[in-house]
Amino acid sequence: MKKYQLGEFEEIVMLTIAILYKEAYGVAIKNEIESRLKRNVSMGAMHTALVRLEDKGYIRSHDGEPTEERMGRPKKYFQVTALGKRAMEYSRETRNALWGAIPDVSPNVKFS
Amino acid sequence: MKEVPPKLPLRFFRWFCHPKLRDSIEGDLMELYEERRAKSGKVKADALFFKDVLLLFRPGIIRPAEGYQQLNNYGMLKNYLKISWRSLLKQKMYSFIKIGGFAIGVAACLLIALFIKDELSYDKHYANHKQLYRVLAVITENGDIKKGVAFPAPMALAVKEDFPEVVNTGRYNNSELFGAGASEVRAADAEDNAYDEGFVYFDQSLIDMLQLKFIYGNPQKALSQPGAIVITKRKADKYFPNEDPVGKALVVNNKADKPYTVGGVIEDFKSTSHLQFDFLIGMEGLEFWNGEQKTWDASNYATYIQVAEGTDAKSLEEKLSNGIIEKYYIPMMTKSGRSLDDVKKFFTETQAHLELQPINEIHLFSEGVDDKLNYGDIRIVWLFGGIALFILLIAAINFINLSTARSANRAKEVGLRKVVGSLRGNIINQFLSESVMFSAISFVLGLAIASIMLQYFNSISGKSISIPWMEWWFVPSLLGLSVVVGVIAGIYPSFYLSAFKPIQVLKGALTQGSKSSPLRSSLVIFQFTISIILLIGTMVIQKQMNFILNKKIGFEKDQVLLLQGTGTLGTQVVAFADELRATSHVVEVSTGDYLPVRGSKRNGNSFWNEGRENIDPNVTSQFWRVDPYYVNTLGLKIVEGRDFNRDLASDSSAIIINQKMAKELGGNMLGKRITNYGGLWTVIGIVEDFHYESLREDIRPIAMVLGTEASVLAVKLKAGDMSESIQSITTVWDKFAPHQPIRYSFLDDRYAAMYNDVQRMGKIFTSFSILAIVVACLGLFALSAFMVEQRSKEISVRLVLGASVNSVFQLLTWDFLRLVLISIVIAAPISWYMMSRWLEDYAYRTDIGWDVFVVSGITSVLIALITISFQSIKAAVMNPVKGLRSE
Repeated sequence: MKKYQLGEFEEIVMLTIAILYKEAYGVAIKNEIESRLKRNVSMGAMHTALVRLEDKGYIRSHDGEPTEERMGRPKKYFQVTALGKRAMEYSRETRNALWGAIPDVSPNVKFS
Repeated sequence: MKEVPPKLPLRFFRWFCHPKLRDSIEGDLMELYEERRAKSGKVKADALFFKDVLLLFRPGIIRPAEGYQQLNNYGMLKNYLKISWRSLLKQKMYSFIKIGGFAIGVAACLLIALFIKDELSYDKHYANHKQLYRVLAVITENGDIKKGVAFPAPMALAVKEDFPEVVNTGRYNNSELFGAGASEVRAADAEDNAYDEGFVYFDQSLIDMLQLKFIYGNPQKALSQPGAIVITKRKADKYFPNEDPVGKALVVNNKADKPYTVGGVIEDFKSTSHLQFDFLIGMEGLEFWNGEQKTWDASNYATYIQVAEGTDAKSLEEKLSNGIIEKYYIPMMTKSGRSLDDVKKFFTETQAHLELQPINEIHLFSEGVDDKLNYGDIRIVWLFGGIALFILLIAAINFINLSTARSANRAKEVGLRKVVGSLRGNIINQFLSESVMFSAISFVLGLAIASIMLQYFNSISGKSISIPWMEWWFVPSLLGLSVVVGVIAGIYPSFYLSAFKPIQVLKGALTQGSKSSPLRSSLVIFQFTISIILLIGTMVIQKQMNFILNKKIGFEKDQVLLLQGTGTLGTQVVAFADELRATSHVVEVSTGDYLPVRGSKRNGNSFWNEGRENIDPNVTSQFWRVDPYYVNTLGLKIVEGRDFNRDLASDSSAIIINQKMAKELGGNMLGKRITNYGGLWTVIGIVEDFHYESLREDIRPIAMVLGTEASVLAVKLKAGDMSESIQSITTVWDKFAPHQPIRYSFLDDRYAAMYNDVQRMGKIFTSFSILAIVVACLGLFALSAFMVEQRSKEISVRLVLGASVNSVFQLLTWDFLRLVLISIVIAAPISWYMMSRWLEDYAYRTDIGWDVFVVSGITSVLIALITISFQSIKAAVMNPVKGLRSE
C-alpha cells in the first residue's frame, strides 16, 4: 500500500540535494550532511542511496565539466524530480499527520 | 604536483564498479582524498581512501556479474518470450492443440518411462546381485527351445563341491506337490485358520546369498533347526501382532502335532524382486520321501549359485554344464537301463545343457520358463517404449505442422525483425526459445496429466509405480528433457521461418504455407499410419481374447465353484462332499486339486506301454489323481470306454487317458496296460482332448487315476440363483469347519485369469491407440481449420459463382481424406506382420482376417472425416460475403 518508497537516509539525501540545488554532487552532498547533521557518511552508503533514488525516479543526474582537482573526472550533479518532490511531501505529510494525532494529554510522551 | 591515491584500492574499485557510475564516483574519491591529504596527511588519507573503497563494495555499485554484453541478450530473450506468449494467447485454439497434444505425449512417455525403469530395476537391490546366478536347463525338442529351472535336490551341493569358483549355492522348492504354495495357517494359540499363499521350501544358504534383511532372529541360523520357518514382516504383523515371533509356533493346515517354529522375520520382498514369498520353510532335516535328498531322478529344486568375484560366467557355465552332465546325469540315466550310446545320442540331439542366468536378468529374460513365478517380458518393454516414443512423435509433428502452416502469420514479424537488424541466427534463436517455452508448458501440463492418470495406468499395467518427485535426478532431468524436446520440435520450423526474405514478406507476396506441402502431408500420413497400426493391434488382441473365452476347450468351465482349503477337513472331506451332493443346488462334487487352469496342481510323469520301458522313448504326460466324479463334474467327454466306477474295486488300477496320449502310445489303447515307474495301469477310457494348459501351448498327454487327495473341491452348480447356491454351500461348510472361513472361486474366472496378460495388453493397446488417435486428430483438426481459413476467399468466390455446398465440402475434405487412405494402405501390411508375430505365441489362435482391416479402416476414415468436416461444413455453409468483404 505504500505509495512512495523512501527510507530515512534516502530522505536525508534528497533533502540535501534540494538544499544544495545546483551544486549537488557526491562530495558536496556528503559534506553538507556531515556538517548539518554531525554524522559520518560513507561514500558507499551515499552512492548506493543515490543509485537507488535514481532507479526509483526521485532524482535525476547529469554530468558536469571535468575539473582538475578531480583528476579529470566529471562531477555528477543531482536534481530532485517532480516525482521525488511528491515523495518528499508525502513523507512530510504523513509525519505531520502522525504528530498531529498525538493527544495533548498524553503525559508519557516526553522528548528530549 | 597532484597527489595520487594508493594504486591497489583504486584498481580494485575500477574493477568492481559499475561502468556507469565509475567516473563520477572516482572523481568524488579523488576530491575527498585531496582534501583529506591537505588536512591530515598522507597516511590518514590513504587509510580513509581504502576504507571508502571497501564500503563502496556493495550491491548497487558492483557491476552485474554477467557484464554488459549479456545484459543485452537477456533483454532480447525477454522480448522473445513476451512475443511467444502474445502469439500463444492470440491463437488460442492452435496453441491449445500444440500444447495439449504435447502434454498428452509427455504424460504417456513419462508413465512408460517409469514403467520401464521399474521393469529394469528388478533384483538389483540384492547386495551381491552381480555374483548371483540362477541355473537353467535348456533343451531343444522338435526345434522348440524349452527352459526349466527345476533340478535334482543334490545338485546344489554337487556344484558347490565340484567347482571352486562357486562360493555358495542355495535352493528353493515351490511345488504344490510337496505342500508349497497356499495353505491354511494360524498361530499355535489361535483358533481360526487363515488362508495364505507364498509358502516355499527354502535353504538357509539361499538366505545368506540373497542377504535378506532380518527384523527379528539371527540371519545366519534362522533356518538351521529342523521345522524352522522364516516369515515376512507383513505376515508377522498378521499372525503375531506387536510381538517378537521368534520361537513361536505356527500351525499349517491344521497339523497341530507338527507346528513350525518361527526362526526369524524378514522384510517383505521388494516389489522389484522376482522372488515373492511370505513363508520360507527350512530344509534342514527335511526329506519328502526316503532318499529324496540324494536322488537325481526327480527335479524339483530351483537352484541358485554365487560365484567368486571376478569369475567369468561364460566359461564357468560351460565347465559346469559339461561337468554336471558327465558326472551325474549320464550315470543316472544309464543306471535306469538306457545304453550309454543312447544317452549320448539324447544329449547331442537335444543339445541339453545348463546355463547360468544372472539374477537381474531373470525378470525380463525368462521367456519360455514356466515355474509359477511372474515374469516381465523384454518385448513388452520395447513395445511400450516404442509406443511412447511414437505418441510423442505424433505430438511433435502437430507442433511442426502447425508452426510451418501458420508461418504466414508470423512472416511479417520475421521480415520486420530482419529489417531492423536481426540476423538469421537471431530469428532461429527466437523460434527455438519459443518452442522451448511451449515444451516447458507442455511438460508441466504433462506431469499433471501423468499424476492424475497414474492410478489408472497402475491398474492396467499391474504395477505400483509412483512419480519420484523427491529423487534428486527427477526434476533436473525433466528440465533437461523439456529443453531437448523443445529444440528438436522447433528446429525445423525455426529454420523454415527464419529463411523468409524481408522484401518479399513485407510486400505481401508470401503465400507459402497455405498450400499443403509434401512434407506436411507425409507427416500427417506418418501420424495416421501409427494410429491405425495401434487400432488394428487393439482389434486383433480383442479378437484373440474373444476367441480364447469362447473357444470350445473340452470341459465346462461355467457354473463350477472351487471350494478351497478343504485339505484341513482331513478324512471328513468325503462326508462333506456327500452332504453337498444332497443339497438341491449342487449337481456334482469332485476333488479338484488337479484342474485344467493355471495355478493348480501338476505332476509330470513318464509312461510306456507295458514291457517297453527301456525300449521305447517315454511319453511325457501329466499324471493326475482324481475321484470317480471328476469327469462328470468338469463335463469331460469320454469318447471310448467308460468313466471310473466307484463300486468296482478293480478301478484302483484303472487309468483314463486323453486322445493325444493314446495317439502317442501307438493308438487303439482301450483295455491295454501301460506303466510308469510307480505302477501298472489298465486303460479303461479315453477322454476327448481338453485344454488343461494355456491356449499358447498344444494339448499334451494326460492320464488320470483314482486318488483321495482333496485340498480343493470342484462343485458343479445348477443354473439359477448363484447367491442362494453359495449360501447353502456355506451353511454346510460352517458345520464342518467352524474355525475356517469359507473360501471359493469360480472356474471360469480362474480360466479368464490365465489370460490376464492378454487382457492387460488389450487394455494398454486400447488406451494408447485412443491417445494416438486423439493427438493425431487434434492435429488434423487444426490443420483443416487453418486450410479453411486460408482458402476462405477462394471458397467464397466458388460459392458466389454457384458451387454447391456439397462440392465445396468435397473439395476441402478430399485433400485430407486422401492422406488417411494412404495411411491405411501403409499401415495394413505392417500391422498384419506385427500381429501375426504376436499370434504365433498361441498354439490356438484366431486368424487376423480381412474384417479387422476393413473395420479399422472405416473407423479411421470416419474419425478423420468427422474431424475435418467440422471445419469444412462450417466453410461450405458460410455466407460468402464474410470472406470477401475485407478485400
